[in-house]
Amino acid sequence: MKFILTLILGFAFGTVLLATQAFSWFRIQQMFRFESFHMYGVLFSAIATAAISLIIIKKFKVKSINGNPIEVTPKKLDLKANIIGGLLFGIGWGLTGACSAPLYILIGLHYKIGIALFLGAMVGVYLFGIFDSRKKNL
Amino acid sequence: MKSPLAWYIAGPLIGLIVPLLLILKEKQFGISSSYRYLGSKLFKKVNYFNYKSESDAWQFQFAIGLILAGLIIPQLIDVEAITSLEANTSYGLIFEKIYSSSNILFFFIGGLFVGFGSRYANGCTAGHCIMGISQFSVSSIVSTVCFFIGGLFVSYIVIPFLF
Repeated sequence: MKFILTLILGFAFGTVLLATQAFSWFRIQQMFRFESFHMYGVLFSAIATAAISLIIIKKFKVKSINGNPIEVTPKKLDLKANIIGGLLFGIGWGLTGACSAPLYILIGLHYKIGIALFLGAMVGVYLFGIFDSRKKNL
Repeated sequence: MKSPLAWYIAGPLIGLIVPLLLILKEKQFGISSSYRYLGSKLFKKVNYFNYKSESDAWQFQFAIGLILAGLIIPQLIDVEAITSLEANTSYGLIFEKIYSSSNILFFFIGGLFVGFGSRYANGCTAGHCIMGISQFSVSSIVSTVCFFIGGLFVSYIVIPFLF
């Protein structure tokens, strides 16, 4: 049952991304060329909604459905990884117009392109895994 | 549908995924850990993938929902429509054929960057840009700025060179 709930959330999230065209190569190019406010509006209002939600959760000590307190931990700062990884991810985002969620959406929408993208991402993650494991052994 | 769902409706709906996941699943929003989760099933010999992957299993389930949305929703609404005015740009012309099979290698290579970069930066647009910035996390702000620098470089320099 938990699986179904997560799947429905993913489906709903995907539906919004599709309806607002946030998965679209065209909209992402438009964003990076500052030719439309659309994607910026989507991102800013999404961040604002999430931030307000987090403040409400904190202030009113909202509990999870299982009755547990909700704790949020920010990702650890690692300047080198955030900068180099961020630049590389940005290059991928700019090339394909797809970040992680649109990547999965494209598997459903244009399966040949989507699967190529997905396989690329998996090889990329595999290479990162090797890189990361070596880094730790040094 | 000629124009996309307005940003002031879509953005807040996207933002609501953050409290929904926290309340219903006790999870922080993110998607790119689904790659690591899949890696933990496929590449067991690599250290990076030997981790408590079950905590990321939900991201894989979430991804299946995304794939299903990509299959079903385009049957109901025209998700790729752009206005003729918009199409009248250099990249508007490219867009008409960007998803054709001849670009499979291009998307594969782009995918390499998406996969490697998102895991190196420890997050993507979901985890850093939306979840991270909404916590005012420094690492997420740095990462998001770099996402944009990478994207700007590609859009202005690489894409016009390639097509």
